[in-house]
Amino acid sequence: MARGFRLSSELVAGVVVGALIGWGFDRLLSTSPFGLIVFFLLGFAAGVLNVIRSAGVAPDRTGR
Amino acid sequence: MIDPIHQFNIDKLFTIGHIGNQEIAFTNSSAYMVVSVALISLLMIGAGRQLVPGRFQSMAEISYEFVANTIRSNAGAEGMKFFPLIFSLFMFICVSNMIGIIPYTFTISSHIIVTAALALLVFFTVLVYGFYKNGLKFFNLFVPSGIPIYILPLVVLIEIISFFSRPISHSVRLFANMLAGHITLKVFASFVTMLGAMGIAGWAGAVLPLGLTVALTALELLVAFLQAYVFTILTCIYINDAIHPGH
Repeated sequence: MARGFRLSSELVAGVVVGALIGWGFDRLLSTSPFGLIVFFLLGFAAGVLNVIRSAGVAPDRTGR
Repeated sequence: MIDPIHQFNIDKLFTIGHIGNQEIAFTNSSAYMVVSVALISLLMIGAGRQLVPGRFQSMAEISYEFVANTIRSNAGAEGMKFFPLIFSLFMFICVSNMIGIIPYTFTISSHIIVTAALALLVFFTVLVYGFYKNGLKFFNLFVPSGIPIYILPLVVLIEIISFFSRPISHSVRLFANMLAGHITLKVFASFVTMLGAMGIAGWAGAVLPLGLTVALTALELLVAFLQAYVFTILTCIYINDAIHPGH
């Protein structure tokens, strides 16, 4: 259960932060909805990157 | 039916004062924080300094060695500068989680605001120390080496989002584990009383959830320690990024 929470929280965090940045981007520059779409997808990519890193599949960037 | 969420209620014990119109209340959560800090202080200050350690001195020394080894293996010798911060975080989370296992007590880290505050403390420590130590070279953290120039902007954006998602995953992980564990425990424990109200047949059936509750308590004890350890390791990894960005 602990591992499941760990990986899922990584993925969700990436998507949430991406969506938030996109929403803020749209609010400031009134480019709705393109900022949200682009940053949501980027956030998903970041979330997948987080999961891969924390699962230890890819070598950690820190070279630990 | 016993309400499994009721254990997370925040009750005001007394009011300390007001800031503007906002009441600053001393709640049951604050009371358990004070108890955790008092227990840690008792362990670390009252442990004694004998050459041959007693029980409590051994506990204090083991916890020191444990955190020091975690920092050295994850953030290197330079990370020992942050030993006071990391040791306080580990002991606070570990002791408060352990207190939360005792029936009728309150678990501090089952509220996301508490874990978010701890995670943001780490996040801003990394940010401030990273810029203080490395200056603008800290931005190398977002630029992995050996990436072709034409996909670099995309990778940098993804790395920045990944960096800002850290405090969220850092806090949600501890919070979700403690919340889910305590709700599961409460639900299984309430099955015992519900079956017990059904007479002899119910008593025989109640043995099963009772056994499961005992087993789950042991599991929760493990999770309480493990989550404190995971929080500490992640703190070390993030601080390692602040010390040596851009590998």
